[in-house]
Amino acid sequence: MTPLGLAWRSLSREPVHAALGVCGVAAVGALLFNMLLLSRGLLVSFKDLLDSVGFDVRVMASESLPTLGPPVEHATEAARAIRALPEVEEVVPMRIGRAFTASAGRPEIAIILVGCEPRGRGAWRIMSGRNLSRGQKDGGGLPPVEARAPEIVVSKNLAKALGLEPGSRLRLRAAVDGGASAIPAVEFRVMGIGEFAFESTEEATAVTTLSALRLARGGTDEDEADLILVASRKKHGAAAAVAAIQGLRPDLHAFSNEQLVSRFSRTDFSYFRQISFVLSSITLFFAFLLVATLLTVSVNQRFGEVAALRALGFSRRRIVTDLFCESLLLVGAGGILSLPIGAVLARWLDTILRTMPGLPVRLHFFVFEPRVFMLHATLLAFTGLLAAAYPVYLAARLPIAATLRQEVVS
Amino acid sequence: MNPPNTPDDGRRPTAGAGAAPPIVEAAGLTKVFPMPAGPVVALRGVSLRDDSGESIAITGPSGCGKSTLLHLLGCVDTPTEGSLAIEGRDASRLSDFERSRIRLTKIGFVFQRFFLLPMLTAWENVELPQSEAGAPKTARRARTRELLDYVGLADRAGHKPSQLSGGEMQRVAIARALANRPLLLLADEPTGELDEATGEQIVELFDRVNRDGTTLVVVTHNPILANRARRVLPMRSGRLIMESPASSIVAREEGA
Repeated sequence: MTPLGLAWRSLSREPVHAALGVCGVAAVGALLFNMLLLSRGLLVSFKDLLDSVGFDVRVMASESLPTLGPPVEHATEAARAIRALPEVEEVVPMRIGRAFTASAGRPEIAIILVGCEPRGRGAWRIMSGRNLSRGQKDGGGLPPVEARAPEIVVSKNLAKALGLEPGSRLRLRAAVDGGASAIPAVEFRVMGIGEFAFESTEEATAVTTLSALRLARGGTDEDEADLILVASRKKHGAAAAVAAIQGLRPDLHAFSNEQLVSRFSRTDFSYFRQISFVLSSITLFFAFLLVATLLTVSVNQRFGEVAALRALGFSRRRIVTDLFCESLLLVGAGGILSLPIGAVLARWLDTILRTMPGLPVRLHFFVFEPRVFMLHATLLAFTGLLAAAYPVYLAARLPIAATLRQEVVS
Repeated sequence: MNPPNTPDDGRRPTAGAGAAPPIVEAAGLTKVFPMPAGPVVALRGVSLRDDSGESIAITGPSGCGKSTLLHLLGCVDTPTEGSLAIEGRDASRLSDFERSRIRLTKIGFVFQRFFLLPMLTAWENVELPQSEAGAPKTARRARTRELLDYVGLADRAGHKPSQLSGGEMQRVAIARALANRPLLLLADEPTGELDEATGEQIVELFDRVNRDGTTLVVVTHNPILANRARRVLPMRSGRLIMESPASSIVAREEGA
């Protein structure tokens, strides 16, 4: 009989005892699984969000987030120069502002109004209707006076709030410094309904061309961009594109998606990692205590058997292996059971956390990735081995003759 | 019914048949247990030579050192002084693993409290030491069947210890002790937990095991079992107090 087989039979002799142990490990393992998902969930989700837009480099005038720092001046020229780099495939300057709806008989709704050069890809996905026309040309200097209403793509939230659909008209009044202004409202033609990657549930977003945005702002806007989205050529990669942009324009700050994620990991998201580390350590400690207690009690009850097995010629190594196998079976069964429990718990907690205001709809706190399963299994296995150390020590150091004598006397 | 040690087991020749060393040879064995109230001397210079095929009963009052001597002979404990050789090999020079291996392959143990693994069936309990010794599956099956048949429990092979009587459990324990064809079978009060009638069945079984070629050393209070042995060695206060000149077993008390 193999050590694993004997361990299984040893555990099954006290099925309730073993089942309680497995359930305890499962509960603790589920919490551990959740903490591990939480430790990297935001980062993975944030990276997915950045990548989903289709651009792997972001260029700003400072290290601050877009709209929180100064804009990139002479954005058209900067975009043209960056686009000429061999490492770069596509460049899209973006201006991010605020506006208010100005529909007769309807309350004003504050929206995020994005001005963006229409290219093959953008930070939104068309759900119905069509995208902005690529023929609408942007250029430096004064914007052209458009003969007819400029095009706009609105988010699902905005479309739902105002009952918009492709072909509808939408009047917007640009905000100044985020507040109401006396700038005349401009009427836009709704071309499509889109899904915006970074929009939260309570936000409403619309995107138009840079020239239309300038028009909405009274035609006084400078040639500026809050953010320049860059897609690197595959054969060069984001790092090479970042280096090339920094070499071309040392006054600008270029970040690859990895660099942005890394930056967030060190700053904004580090709380989750720290909380996760502390709670993971605590859950592992509980798992250790649970398994160590169960096995120690079990071994104490079996001293006579262990001594008899040793007397019959079972080596110390075999006894040790049997006990480690018992521990691993307990932890393994509990660990496997913890995965579905943890998954259900993670979904529930994710739903709760995502109701926090201002978070992009597609951002998640708990993200499943293979390395979490590996880490979960490794940590539990290590804890199981560690928890078995003391009972194994007791069994391995057991004085055979003295124990046999003791058993007879008792 | 087949004997427990069949001819193909590679067993050594019996005493006098050749120059083989004795199975166990102890010289001046002393065992002192350190206790809080002061050291307790359990054995005082016991010497013993045990050749193949013999049967010895060690008797004496409780606490006279019988079990301690048995444990030393079985390599489950080490003497404070004196030497012990198993088939000519100095036991004090063996590693823990080598001592385990000797217990597994050359010595069988039968305990007063049986110590069968309660979660295993009679069959599995008998098969377990063979598995540990690395015996192939087919050989294990054949040996287990043979042994359970030998102890009269072929029909109880699938029963767990909790489903067996005390006598049946002890018979399974004897089958387990014989599993790896040991040269020496050590039994510590094997009838101590059994009633008289059941004890007699176990005595008969031990008698048969010895007749079939296994050397036997039994520690017992049971006069029936002791009288079946070829030589009885009474003990008092850690010393052997009798020596049988007619035996191939030479037991003497150092300095006596």
